[in-house]
Amino acid sequence: MKFSDILKIDYLLLLPVLILIVLGILFIYSSGITSSGVQVSNEYIKQIIWAVCGLVAAVILALMNYRKLYNFSVYIYLLSMLPLVYTLVFGKLIYNAARWLRFGFIGIQMSEFVKISVIILLARFLADTDHNRGVFSRFIISCLITAVPMCVVLLQPDLGTALVYIAILLTMIYMAGVSMRYVIFMISCIALTGFLLVLPLWQTYIARISIPFLSILTNSKLLLLAVSFFLVIGLISLFGYIKYKKFYFYWLLYILSIIIFSLCTSFAARLVLKNYQIMRLIVFLDPNVDPRGAGWNIIQSVTAIGAGGFTGRGFLQGTQSHYRFLPEQSTDFIFSIFSEETGLLGGISVFALFFFICHRLILTMKTSADPFGKYICAGLAGMYGFHFIVNVGMTIGIMPITGLPLLFMSYGGSSILTSMIGIGLALSIYIRRYNR
Amino acid sequence: MKEDQEQRILIFRFLLIFVFALYSIRLFSMQILSGDMYRTRAADISRRTYIIPTQRGEIYDRNFTSPLVINRDSFAVSITPAEVPQGRMEEIIGSISLILGISSEEITSRLPNQYFQLYQPVEIAANVPFSAIAALAERKDLLPGVTWQSKSVRNYVNVGSLSHILGYVGDITRDELTTLYNVGYQQGDVIGKAGIERQYDELLRGREGWETRTVDVRGRRIAGSENVVRVPPEMGKNLVLTIDTKLQTLAEKALGNRIGSALVLRPSTGEILAMVSYPWYDPNIFADRLSSDYLALVDDPNKPLINRAIQSSYPPASTFKIIMTTAILSENAFSPDQTVICRGFINYGNRDWNCHVRLGHGRLNLHYAMAQSCDIYYWTVGRDYLGAENIISYSREYGYGEITGIDLPGEIAGFLPTPQWKERRFHERWVAGDTMNLSIGQGYTLVTPLQMANMISMTVNNGKIYRPYVLKEVRDPVTNAIESVTVPEIIHESQIKPSVFETVRQDMRGVITEGTVQYSPLNMRSVQIAGKTGTAEVGLQDRWHSWFAAYAPYNSVNPEEQIVVAVIVEAANEWEWWATYASAIIFQGHFANQEYEDAVRTLGLQYLIPIQGRRE
Repeated sequence: MKFSDILKIDYLLLLPVLILIVLGILFIYSSGITSSGVQVSNEYIKQIIWAVCGLVAAVILALMNYRKLYNFSVYIYLLSMLPLVYTLVFGKLIYNAARWLRFGFIGIQMSEFVKISVIILLARFLADTDHNRGVFSRFIISCLITAVPMCVVLLQPDLGTALVYIAILLTMIYMAGVSMRYVIFMISCIALTGFLLVLPLWQTYIARISIPFLSILTNSKLLLLAVSFFLVIGLISLFGYIKYKKFYFYWLLYILSIIIFSLCTSFAARLVLKNYQIMRLIVFLDPNVDPRGAGWNIIQSVTAIGAGGFTGRGFLQGTQSHYRFLPEQSTDFIFSIFSEETGLLGGISVFALFFFICHRLILTMKTSADPFGKYICAGLAGMYGFHFIVNVGMTIGIMPITGLPLLFMSYGGSSILTSMIGIGLALSIYIRRYNR
Repeated sequence: MKEDQEQRILIFRFLLIFVFALYSIRLFSMQILSGDMYRTRAADISRRTYIIPTQRGEIYDRNFTSPLVINRDSFAVSITPAEVPQGRMEEIIGSISLILGISSEEITSRLPNQYFQLYQPVEIAANVPFSAIAALAERKDLLPGVTWQSKSVRNYVNVGSLSHILGYVGDITRDELTTLYNVGYQQGDVIGKAGIERQYDELLRGREGWETRTVDVRGRRIAGSENVVRVPPEMGKNLVLTIDTKLQTLAEKALGNRIGSALVLRPSTGEILAMVSYPWYDPNIFADRLSSDYLALVDDPNKPLINRAIQSSYPPASTFKIIMTTAILSENAFSPDQTVICRGFINYGNRDWNCHVRLGHGRLNLHYAMAQSCDIYYWTVGRDYLGAENIISYSREYGYGEITGIDLPGEIAGFLPTPQWKERRFHERWVAGDTMNLSIGQGYTLVTPLQMANMISMTVNNGKIYRPYVLKEVRDPVTNAIESVTVPEIIHESQIKPSVFETVRQDMRGVITEGTVQYSPLNMRSVQIAGKTGTAEVGLQDRWHSWFAAYAPYNSVNPEEQIVVAVIVEAANEWEWWATYASAIIFQGHFANQEYEDAVRTLGLQYLIPIQGRRE
């Protein structure tokens, strides 16, 4: 650790991050004020404390050599999983989700930190296997590394965070040169699962028509029939592929496995997902299905943002937010209150800042001296980008509500700490881009 | 291979640019293209919620006849700042101030600048009479943004001394709001500030209902039942107190205009039947916070806002001999038949300790020492046979130094000294003189009248003390059906033998029949009383705190009919030894079923000769 390295920090990455954090604190303050101007929350003070802790952590990490993590990556991974499993078993119930662990008065969301440890282990594995990029086993083992914490998180149940793991995995294997076949396979599986999951809900709640064909998805007997039908065809084509080495058998098998996989997972998801999560998926399609229940958040958020106009209503002058029409406005819906009070100018500025952060991460990735650092940057870019896309998409009504925070801005100690740890890693990689 | 990666990064970048562009376009279309639509909708939402006010619950005495507190109709005037056209605020405030007769500064002070964007009515005046509202209504067109709604005002009907129990209400303060916001309180809410109103605010306040109506830009309602959501208000619960108004009035008159407190409770349950603290106040004053009456009340040196029954503590003085007697008997420290000679004084620690009878009581055993309230006996036995630790431990048994847990806010715990405390506080050792002071209830010990009453309850119940309470039952405001009844709850259960308490009770009866109040009206025909007097030194030459704590009927088979009375008359008053007379009137009135005047006449107190000198 050399303190002179502090001059070599990539300030073009750190600066936008700090701007976002300051904006976040300002609007967390704003969210704590009621319509009659009374301050009812001190969350902004806690956020300031967390932000300072995060900044210190980031600088310390930046000065340390990230390559030391290479040897420890497995231990970090296992160690960070311990509290996750513990939370699953003993975690206190907050917002119906057992994802919080309480240390004294601070609730810590452990799944946040696991994201970083997954990125590190995955980066190590992908760097180790860099000489043989395209093989199938590389893809499968990467999936397994991610799948373990993801399943635990899913059981919590935290759909949003589980999806972040998929985003991280996808960006990393994509950047690590895993064959596009597998990447596309995975994307198709997820897309089809999502589609099949929402389809019956769309049928009952929005279209309000009965399509008999769709009962395949909900009726377990019909599903079993369909799956075994596809399985038989699959087995035949497998046989055909081995026997005749014709490639159309391969692609047939490829498509069939996507279908079988999606059918099964969407059915399982329907069993595992809680009612409120399913309702969130439906209201995303049409918030007016349940305007006073689950759709309320979307309608209020969209109205707040829309009412912001070009320059916004001014700091502390928003009506939707201060009337408490907006729920969870300091965490999940921080962008709504921000956008209501700063308008299009503010919104676009935040977009630009996030885009610039992703841009700097990609740059760091390109210049990184070794594949380990490269893949860490890829994972981080995936994580920040995905959080942004899902959270902001949710507030502007083009993504379902998942409860993912907007990194750097949303209120929450563990989320800001995790994001800053990630920034620290990226800075460390940037500083050491010339020394191997 | 390198090229492949370059290509992938390029695609990834394009993907990012695509998403950010998409989001920016969406934001642009929302905020600029459809911005007006959303702004209107936002304004609609602000305007379309109407509060349906609720009624605060009424409060009754134990007989559930007529309410002690009702709600009087009155009006509140509000301004919705955002609906006032720009630049006209001052003019409108000016005209309102003329109509309502409030200064425009006062109105302005309730409308700070940051409110000017608000679509929520801000209350600017409460307790407005109907005539002013009529005047406002005539000029409604000239006063955009001005609204009024009926807001009932608490009316306390002939409450007299009940004010301390009932308490009063007021607008929620900023501090209260910050702590209670998450429980559902809001700016402008009325909240109980003292007494029952505060203790049971959650029950009394009910819940406001609301109605949301979708309206168009011009404020016209859009028809259709799906556009109206109505959540009916929940009325506040009616509360029935344990207080017996008749007994309360009797106690109030018996205490008269003397600073102090009188308390009547039922030992077998802990129900407070009457609780008087003089001076009391008129809770209706609080409806108008700026009136001169209110300021006078707050500044009054006699502190009428204090409920002396639970918020003032005094040295227990000779009433403490009840605890001493219990301790002596239970510890077998000094045989009850053994005697001590009282010569009127003893010399200890280089000073004379005088008994209240200067000539001395002569030879006394425990029973007579209690009846005559002989200090020499208790000094000697307390110091030489019992010791401070024992006395303190028995005082704890009796609940000294600990709040009783009555369901009224602000109760204090009194004080019970210990040698460790003295060392910490004064850096002085606890000496035998302290034990002597402790033995006759002087010195550092302080009790509230309620703790005093509990002490008597414990002797009556053979060691049990019930938590004193004021709320008897909760009733539904519409049907008057009983929703919940307070169940008596034991807070202290002593292991002292019942036979000890029996002797203590005999000794307490001795105080009346052959002791210090033998020739007072307390030795009455209508009921047999057992109790103990107390005269506490406060450093004045000719005045003392006057205590009397007693129960009746003595030796009753029916615990339901027994009552405990505890009266304190502070030394600030003329010396009349009044606690004993006040108690006599209460017992007489209650057991002979007489009004105050009849009770006084029966006892012959109208011919009362002013008392000269100290009595015990």
